[in-house]
Amino acid sequence: MAILETRALSKQFGGLRAVDRVDLVLEPGQILGVIGPNGAGKTTLFSLIAGSQAPSSGEVLLDGRRVDGKPAYKLVRAGVVRTHQIVRPFPNLSVAENVAVGAMHAAGRAHGPVRDRAVEVLEFVGLAERARAMPGTLTLAGRKRLELARALATAPRVLLLDEVIAGLNPSEAQALAALIRRIRDERGVSIIMIEHVMPAVMSLSDRVLVLDQGRMIAEGSPEEVVRNQAVVDAYLGESHRKASA
Amino acid sequence: MERFIDLAVSAVLLAGLYATMAYGLGMIYGVLRVVNLAHGGVIMAGAYMGWVLHGRLGLDPYLSIPLVVGASYLLGVGMYKVLVRHLPRGAAGGPASLLLLFGFWLVLRNAAYLLFTGNDQSITTTWSTRSVALLGTHISATRLAVLGVGVLVPLGLHALLRHTHLGRAIRAVAQNPDSCTLVGVDVERIYTITFGLGTALAGLAGLLSATIFAFNPGSGSGELLKSFVVVVLGGLGSVLGTGIAALILAVVEVFAILVMPSYLTAAVGFIMLVLVLVIRPGGLFGHRVLG
Amino acid sequence: MSRGFRPPAPPRLLLGYGIVVAGLAALPWFTELTVYSHNLMTLAFLSIAGALAWNWMGGFLGQVSFGHAAMFGVGGFVAARILLAGPVPAPLAWLAGGLAAGVFALGAHPTLRLRGPYFSIATIGMGEATRLLFTYWEDFTGGSSGLSLPIQTDMKHHLYWWGLGLVALVAAASWLIRHSALGLQLLAIKADVDAAADLGVSATFYQDLVFALSGAVVGVTGGMWASYFSFIEPNDMFGFDRSIAFVLMAVIGGVGTVLGPLLGAVVFVLLRQYLLASYPQLYLGLYGLLLIFIILFEPLGLTGLWLRLWRRLPWARAEA
Repeated sequence: MAILETRALSKQFGGLRAVDRVDLVLEPGQILGVIGPNGAGKTTLFSLIAGSQAPSSGEVLLDGRRVDGKPAYKLVRAGVVRTHQIVRPFPNLSVAENVAVGAMHAAGRAHGPVRDRAVEVLEFVGLAERARAMPGTLTLAGRKRLELARALATAPRVLLLDEVIAGLNPSEAQALAALIRRIRDERGVSIIMIEHVMPAVMSLSDRVLVLDQGRMIAEGSPEEVVRNQAVVDAYLGESHRKASA
Repeated sequence: MERFIDLAVSAVLLAGLYATMAYGLGMIYGVLRVVNLAHGGVIMAGAYMGWVLHGRLGLDPYLSIPLVVGASYLLGVGMYKVLVRHLPRGAAGGPASLLLLFGFWLVLRNAAYLLFTGNDQSITTTWSTRSVALLGTHISATRLAVLGVGVLVPLGLHALLRHTHLGRAIRAVAQNPDSCTLVGVDVERIYTITFGLGTALAGLAGLLSATIFAFNPGSGSGELLKSFVVVVLGGLGSVLGTGIAALILAVVEVFAILVMPSYLTAAVGFIMLVLVLVIRPGGLFGHRVLG
Repeated sequence: MSRGFRPPAPPRLLLGYGIVVAGLAALPWFTELTVYSHNLMTLAFLSIAGALAWNWMGGFLGQVSFGHAAMFGVGGFVAARILLAGPVPAPLAWLAGGLAAGVFALGAHPTLRLRGPYFSIATIGMGEATRLLFTYWEDFTGGSSGLSLPIQTDMKHHLYWWGLGLVALVAAASWLIRHSALGLQLLAIKADVDAAADLGVSATFYQDLVFALSGAVVGVTGGMWASYFSFIEPNDMFGFDRSIAFVLMAVIGGVGTVLGPLLGAVVFVLLRQYLLASYPQLYLGLYGLLLIFIILFEPLGLTGLWLRLWRRLPWARAEA
């Protein structure tokens, strides 16, 4: 059975359908890539799944049970956690404390284990050396790792990654892609990732879903998707729009 | 029935005042993301300005509008340049700006107390007691005048924001100050002007309310709360939304007299705020003001 | 291992805490305190406890409340009513007052959906509505003529130790909150509510919890206040000026710091005593100016000043 599924998930802002009847299926242990031009509704889709926003209609199912409309903090406790495209560390807390906040709601653990979990996660993402640092002193790559670490500390079963690779230089990007693969392989976390960096999505994803103007225009293996005419049009359309703007 | 019309009319008349108050608060917030906690203090100051001009110089409160508005504008410019501008970066909406402006409110209160004592005052002119027959009831001339100003001024400001170069700059800064800096808009100047306009509206509201209600140096917290309720109800920057919200508040407040003891009507604003938060946290028109 | 985490209470700190509390408790026996200073210290203790509790909300959570007088008054009047009803030990009545205030604070739940300035303005409304309600609920509060409590001999004298005990408890609680899992989550909410929610932190729950706890402590101080003066009156207990006092004490000492509000409360009480005696017409405005100066030049108040001085001392520099 799919670990996470959406059925006709939609979000309407005034007259605009930001997400339009999206049916998404995430199998356990899978990495699902979500691509699409800017403004395609990718981040909104994440917000609906993670409970940051309530959907206008449609369903979100976790292990076959409906979770749509639940607030974000409850979804975290149920095992669904998201990261943000623009990283948002708590600037007044140390790196370790940032991660500890996430670890607290893993399964309602006491103080000691929270610390252990935080330390373990920091080691896993390669930030153990910077545990005492304040987030502001980290590089962008470091802050992206911190964003990942905080999410991992909640012991998720489904991880929603919003452009964690974008903005990094090639070697950093490669390191982070390897880390994402390890999250799946070693921790058994199923992942949905929004990404603009095509090589990364295509090599990491088991399946890819393409959004354009809120609608799913294609879904399949990475190879199938790149050959899909609708996808090519959507991206060409975008570059046309950009050129004329 | 006659009483009903009476109440309805006084609600409408009050709404103009509330709209003016709220528009000033909402404007500053909309552009600077700072809630002017001294708003109530400026309203109180505006009332005293009118009172002094009337008492000492014998100036009719409606003739003193330009003076009071101008002085309040300058007060706002001063508040921005001396206080708000020096807030630490990123602290605009935070506790620091609140406490800073709250401190200024305390100073205003104390200054008014020193200058004018703590006694209740009000502005009574020769035509205060006159009334106009309308819809089968008698409407006091002052209240009618207050309504007139209270409708015209927000509409005028709205026109200013829509159709002038300055107005477009203000709206652009409200949307995105960073990109405005890039295209050469002097953001600091826009902030200064906006803060001045917002406090000018507060001062005007104070002057208007002084012709209807008594005031003292401690006045203002009720006005701040009412402005806030209207902003939450009506959303930011929408003249129509503000007007409707002001009308709703005024109607509820006026008709509350029928169902609750009169001493509690002062709490109506707060009760409405709680109701709005419970029933429609997004505000009446879906504009989220809540964090 | 405490890499990157706030350390557990160092023994030196515990020792210092014990010495200060024991020293203050023993003070009246060792020195001849005048009745005036004995009483002034009692009032300072009550103010300190209130300021520390306010800071949980205003400092740790970053939600500035201008309405804490509501809980202060509720605690005071509930305690007073219980003491008037029959021979109940005063501490029990204070506790009941605190409990009532905590429950009352939970009634503010809808306003706790607001953040930042909106929350602050809503608390002004809450304070004002509460004041009106209780002033006109004459059967309970005696209206504007107030309530006189049964006179208990020595109560005023003994309140010194009760007040000190409360401060000791609340100060320890402040330190523990700040250095616990709870404190981390409060700081996370303060920094970014949405990001905290995305990590499983329910802002609503913690705001309710902290507001209730903070309100309960302030309610207990209200009860003690009633016993101290043996007369209370709603316009004073619920007054806006009282709400402002909590804010000022915390800001003067250092908003969000663990013990700053303690310092701030001491300064506030002494300063007010002096100002009320010398410049009664100026005292509100001077506090306003103080507030402005602190925010513009030293946002952490006295604590910030202390830190600056400390860093200039030669041994501190050597340590760093």
